[in-house]
Amino acid sequence: MSVEAEIEDGLNYLQTNTKFKYMKILIVEDEIELLETIVSYLQNEDFICEKASTFFEAEDKIISFNYDIVILDITLPDGSGIDLLKFVKEKSPQTGVLIVSAKNSLDDKLKGLDLGADDYITKPFHLAELNSRVNSLIRRQKFDGNDTIQFNEIEINPDSKVVTINDKPIELTKKEYNLLLYFITNKDKVLTKESIAEHLWGDNIEMADSFDFIYTHMGNLRKKMKKLGAPNYLQTMYGLGYKFTDN
Amino acid sequence: MKLIQKTSRTYLLLSAIIFILSGVMLFFVLTSVMNNRLDEKLLYNKEVIAKRIKYDYPLTIFETEELTEAENRLYPNDTLIYKDTLIFHAIEGVEGVEEYEKYRQLTAYETLQGERHKIITRNSLVRNQDFVSIITLSTIIIILLLLTGLLILNTQIAKKIWKPFYLNLDRLKNFSIQDQNAIELEPSDIEEFIELNNSIKNLTQKLQSDFNNLKEFSENASHEMQTPLAIMQSKIELLLQSTDLTKEQSEQLQSIYQAGQRLSKLNKTLLLLAKVENQQFSTKEEISLKELIEKQLENYEDFIANKNLKVTTELSDDNITTNTVLAYTLISNLLSNAIKHNIPNGTIEIIHVRDILIFSNTGLPLDQDPENLFSRFKKASTLKDSLGLGLAIVKKICEVNGWQASYSYQDNTHQISILFKT
Repeated sequence: MSVEAEIEDGLNYLQTNTKFKYMKILIVEDEIELLETIVSYLQNEDFICEKASTFFEAEDKIISFNYDIVILDITLPDGSGIDLLKFVKEKSPQTGVLIVSAKNSLDDKLKGLDLGADDYITKPFHLAELNSRVNSLIRRQKFDGNDTIQFNEIEINPDSKVVTINDKPIELTKKEYNLLLYFITNKDKVLTKESIAEHLWGDNIEMADSFDFIYTHMGNLRKKMKKLGAPNYLQTMYGLGYKFTDN
Repeated sequence: MKLIQKTSRTYLLLSAIIFILSGVMLFFVLTSVMNNRLDEKLLYNKEVIAKRIKYDYPLTIFETEELTEAENRLYPNDTLIYKDTLIFHAIEGVEGVEEYEKYRQLTAYETLQGERHKIITRNSLVRNQDFVSIITLSTIIIILLLLTGLLILNTQIAKKIWKPFYLNLDRLKNFSIQDQNAIELEPSDIEEFIELNNSIKNLTQKLQSDFNNLKEFSENASHEMQTPLAIMQSKIELLLQSTDLTKEQSEQLQSIYQAGQRLSKLNKTLLLLAKVENQQFSTKEEISLKELIEKQLENYEDFIANKNLKVTTELSDDNITTNTVLAYTLISNLLSNAIKHNIPNGTIEIIHVRDILIFSNTGLPLDQDPENLFSRFKKASTLKDSLGLGLAIVKKICEVNGWQASYSYQDNTHQISILFKT
């Protein structure tokens, strides 16, 4: 048994015996700098990240290994990401594919989604947003969305959008729910106000007021969570943004 | 004045002058030729009379005139005096009417059989005069016929010759630089027109290719900026995760990050504009504006609640046919515009009936020319965070769809209406 096969074997074992951790992700991106950044952000999330910076390299890895998620830049120097997408979906249809593109055009998006891509994100993006997309993709791929997300006493059911704290349901507005989910998927990370605003209102929001609303929503969320006995996990980071952590 | 009119007018004027001049000349030449002939005839008659007197042949004399002494002295023998004279007499065939008739008259003085004679011979000029007037008349008729003929011919020829020119002119008027197709021109076999067509073809091709290059450049430039921006942004976000940042460092990072965000947002918007301009949103479908507007109102509810704005809508179920992304962008821009430029406790009114969409909102009067409202980077000076591209995008979207966007301000209410008329 080769070393790689051994690792693969071990990973497969882990994968079947753990719920969420050790998901295998292949990141295909020709910009090395961006590739490294994505990897280091996602690695902290306990994902196992593999890198490929060319079409050839990516094809090679897809043939050799199984991945849960492929993050795919569709503009590669030696081939089209769209071809790679077709190849992934032929080889293992259960693999979730998230397309990353600098082209913000709907046609590309539709083409990608038509060919079986599961989500689409345009450059430049927030790392937290990418992470949130990857997580929701994993939930959809692996647990049909029925899995609950657990953070200490907080439990979120993404399918029914019900949140409980200490088994007591908490009434949240749509924005508060989205905010909480975004924080928990990116726990222990500093989330900038800009990234939160984009996550809540979409990327064509152009209003400075949005930061005030984040503040208001945060305040409400804190109060509601405190009421049900959860400690204050939300930390303010020097006006930069916020961090959701139990440290 | 049209070129045809100008040339044919000059042409006709010149030919009229020439014809009149030649008519006058013809008149004089004819008169003098005929007078000459007449004079010869009179001279011949006089010779006949003189011979008859000389040899005592009988003579038919209409009337006699005494040779006065003065005449006798004044005119020597062989004097010939030609002149035109009027004689009063009855008109042939018409009873009781008498009138003057023009005669050509030759008076000759001669000594015949030792006696001084004065011989007067006359010939009527009436026939000559008739002849001349007939000639004049026919000349005039010829002139008129010729001129009308020329005029008609000229107009017809001109019409035929200039037809491709006018067709091409129309096509040129309808030519749009954004057209991807080369302009099609009516061919002509006239050298000048061929040359003109070629020049127009070259010019429009150059225009189109320059315009396309420019469009491509701006799109490519924005596009190429995406990746470095993505690297910048994600690197800073990663750096922000470090736990050992001092307050100062984190503040500096924040400044860099926000500047990067702004740049990235600007770039995204410019790219969107370029894409709209490049007709990259061409797939069209039926879209319910009502649904779209209601969804957007929900998305913006925080912003609306923050200013305590009162929103009233009157939305019909009529659909519009356009691209989804464009419709979404249009509504989102119009709504965010109406919120951004509103006053606290103000109102927003959205009306969609058939093919008209109206966004009205309360607000302070414009501090700029309404003409500039839809231009790029024109923004109210009070809003420093705004990019000033929202309404430029609205206008661009309307342009590519063939809609009309207009703005009016009345009673502290700004109103932007879109007419979906294609």
